[in-house]
Amino acid sequence: MRLFGDDAITSSIGNTLLYVLIGVALSTVLGIAFAVALQRPFRGRSAVVAILVLPWALPGVVEGIIWVSIWDGNTGLLNSVLTSAHLIDHYQVFLGHNQLLTVFLTEIVQVWQITPLSTLLILAGLQNIPAEIYESASIDGAGPWGSFTRLTLPLVRPGITVAMVQAVIATLNVFDQPYVLNGAAATGSSVTMQTYFVTFQNLDFGEGYALSLLITIATLVISFIVLKLVYRPVEF
Amino acid sequence: MNSRTRALRIGAGVTALVAAGAALTGCSSTASGGGDADKTTGVTISVVLAVDPPPKATLDQFTKDTGITVKWSNVDWDSLQTKIAAAATAKTYFADATDVDWSRVGQLAKLKWFHPMQDYLNVSKLKGDMPQLASFTDDGQTVGIPFDASYMVTTVNKKMFADAGITTMPTTIDEYTADLKKVQAGGVQYPLNIPFAASEGLSTYWYETTGAFGGKVLDGAGKPQFTSKSSPGYKAAEWMIGALKDGLVAPANINVSDSQGMQTLMAKGAAASIFSDYSGNVGSLYNVPSSSTVTGQVEYIPTPGVDGVGPNLTNADGIGIPMTAKYPKAAATFIKWFTSTDAQAGFAGADGPSKVLPSYALPSRLSAVDVLNKKGSLDGGDVLATLLKDSKPVFPDGAPSWYPEFSRAVYTNLHAAAAGTMTVDQAIKKIADTANQLASGS
Amino acid sequence: MRRTHWGRWIGVAFILLWTLIPIYWTINTSLQTDAQVTSRPANYLPPTPTLQNYAALLTADTDTAQAMRASIMNIVIECLAATIVTVLLSTLAAYAFARMRFRGRQVLFYAVLATMAFPAYTTLIPIYKIMSWLGLVNTYTGIVLVYVSGFLPLATWILYNYMSSLPRSIEEAATVDGASRLKVLWHVVVPLARPGIVSTAIITFLFAWGQFLFPLVLSSDLSTEPLTVAIAALQGRHTVPFSLMSAAGVLAIAIPAVIALLLNRYIVSGLLAGSVK
Repeated sequence: MRLFGDDAITSSIGNTLLYVLIGVALSTVLGIAFAVALQRPFRGRSAVVAILVLPWALPGVVEGIIWVSIWDGNTGLLNSVLTSAHLIDHYQVFLGHNQLLTVFLTEIVQVWQITPLSTLLILAGLQNIPAEIYESASIDGAGPWGSFTRLTLPLVRPGITVAMVQAVIATLNVFDQPYVLNGAAATGSSVTMQTYFVTFQNLDFGEGYALSLLITIATLVISFIVLKLVYRPVEF
Repeated sequence: MNSRTRALRIGAGVTALVAAGAALTGCSSTASGGGDADKTTGVTISVVLAVDPPPKATLDQFTKDTGITVKWSNVDWDSLQTKIAAAATAKTYFADATDVDWSRVGQLAKLKWFHPMQDYLNVSKLKGDMPQLASFTDDGQTVGIPFDASYMVTTVNKKMFADAGITTMPTTIDEYTADLKKVQAGGVQYPLNIPFAASEGLSTYWYETTGAFGGKVLDGAGKPQFTSKSSPGYKAAEWMIGALKDGLVAPANINVSDSQGMQTLMAKGAAASIFSDYSGNVGSLYNVPSSSTVTGQVEYIPTPGVDGVGPNLTNADGIGIPMTAKYPKAAATFIKWFTSTDAQAGFAGADGPSKVLPSYALPSRLSAVDVLNKKGSLDGGDVLATLLKDSKPVFPDGAPSWYPEFSRAVYTNLHAAAAGTMTVDQAIKKIADTANQLASGS
Repeated sequence: MRRTHWGRWIGVAFILLWTLIPIYWTINTSLQTDAQVTSRPANYLPPTPTLQNYAALLTADTDTAQAMRASIMNIVIECLAATIVTVLLSTLAAYAFARMRFRGRQVLFYAVLATMAFPAYTTLIPIYKIMSWLGLVNTYTGIVLVYVSGFLPLATWILYNYMSSLPRSIEEAATVDGASRLKVLWHVVVPLARPGIVSTAIITFLFAWGQFLFPLVLSSDLSTEPLTVAIAALQGRHTVPFSLMSAAGVLAIAIPAVIALLLNRYIVSGLLAGSVK
């Protein structure tokens, strides 16, 4: 098969698996942490929820400009802050040299964008847990960590499942972030980027569909694994 | 089972159907203009380009003269290419006249997405006045007419050069490199800007540099001309990567794109020169106070070559008529007007500000440049007009149909050489392999 | 209990920092000129704050400002319409999948979910063909229809999970009293599922808000073009107006925020309602 003989496509498959791994793990952990922090009412909670979803509403093309100006090696915000704090003595190049670091910093941008969705999905599930369950647990002597692992986590499994599957879909299709931050370079290019190149630049729609099929199959397989591992029906 | 429960099931069914619709291929449809295709009066044509519309007064005059009304849409260049590809593939109407990029000429001729322009215009007569027209022709089809003449040109910050004691501008690459080192010694940490990000701008920079070293990238049959170490293409790649390794170019430039480098380095006085810059940038970027801190300091110089001034590469945009156009004949009338000597000279400022097309580079017609030059109304116009006469397309006979794949091999491998994950030699080999494979028609 | 409070406040502080630093950077950029942004060291505050970018986008008498104003109206209409239709249909579908037994239920449910696996690029051309065949290119109906078809599977799944976890006893009691299925759905299930429905609505709205590729291809002028497409069009062939586009980005996040404020009562009481009150 021609697809697998192509260096650019082989390296993009490796990168994409890294994007999925980092992105799903980070967005799920952050989503759960954020949702739990917002689970109980407090003054200003609705404002925090409103702020939380802002990254999602920022259009991709603007998100690109902003994060380029944060990571950039010539004039970036991160370099400026680290230099002012005397943590580095001259500006560093963060993207493009090391594959792992490039993929990680690029995926941070996507995690920033998709974590609001994970949080909302998990938060909706948390709101459904009856308070009495926690009360009886605390009578039984469960501490906060105990009630989190023994009650909260098991009870929001359906919400976590949806959040994880959404993260799988988003990360398998990652495009804007690597394209804007690292160009078509092998250190960060994704399968969806290759699909775009083949389809809309080479104008080879047949090969483009073949690559899309790869993503479709990967989505179904990984989602199925998540479903089997994480999902358990819950009824109160 | 009562009717209400059935309604719910239908709800579920509709959900499934609508969702599945997303995965189904629709039946083919043909958007034909019927008997209106030849109409040229009383019609409204849709023109979609990546530039602002000409002043309303000039468009109104066109309508008065021809009976054709123009509906203009300005779509950013990348989005426009996606729209063109989607519409052509779906065989759907999208515009009566739209952008034809020089790099896609081979593909478009092969796919027959555009009406051959020779059916509507006297192309052979035009060739003498439009040096770039040949590069819009492939396989006997002229797929578009160049409407401007942007090309690559060297820019320098003359103040920085003067501060380093340089008052005579370099005319050869050796002098140029030596001067950059003087500017660096004079206090500009990284005087040269090369956009090493893996995107199209890096390929263009390499083509321009290869031309300056006295050669070209591919021959007429698409065979690579840069594999031997003494070839201009090889030397150009070595010079570019060498400039980065020697510290003339900022290390962070491995991820700087062409526009980013121009805006955040050259326009901010962080870099002193761009070897392969866009004609028009002095007027539209470096001399604009809201976007530049170096107004009045940057100028065009004739591109330094091996032993004297080198050639400049053109990368003009053209305009053509998609096969699905509703009014191809009216569109042709529009194109004839839009690319005429009078209109072009006006767009570039020959008839005063009321007829200027914002961010218009240079006319594609030599006759229009002459008109303009006589009136002296361009930023750095005298240099640009001289350079235009010696400029040549990257692919004089039209870009090959596999150009995008080739260009991607160029910029990803040159980027990798800059980032240090491969040597210049390895990068050149990979690019050559790709070209050979593509040219042999695999 | 003290420790949980500490944990929560650290969590909330982290949410705010994580979310707001890049947002602050967008706002900061939007208040400068291009000549001021990307300086070294960075301008942590705008050196001479200016609203000129916002003026250029909103109030100026130019094609750009006209396009912005029209596209803001378009995106609000398209997103609200898509949200309403999606929530309506997915509520019906989720209830049917969660509570009714009929042949092929599971297969149908998984088939709906599986459509989410198709990458957008694969479906772009077929959908464009269908829309052009139906004469729906460059219409609100066409764009809304595509959004609904795209977001319905996720919305159905969220609501299915939510409704499945509701106690059946109340519904059963209502059914025994002779209420029809639709009545039970409207009067019993919908009120109980309000947090799920509201979060589905927010999620659908924001998904629609971020769309770029489909409306790019399916809209051909300012009668339907949404804000995202108009913002991309601010880019020049060789230049990117950083500060202008940042200002456009601030508008793009401000509008959903304003809508959320206007509907604050419903959203917050809906989303954060539940048994933990």
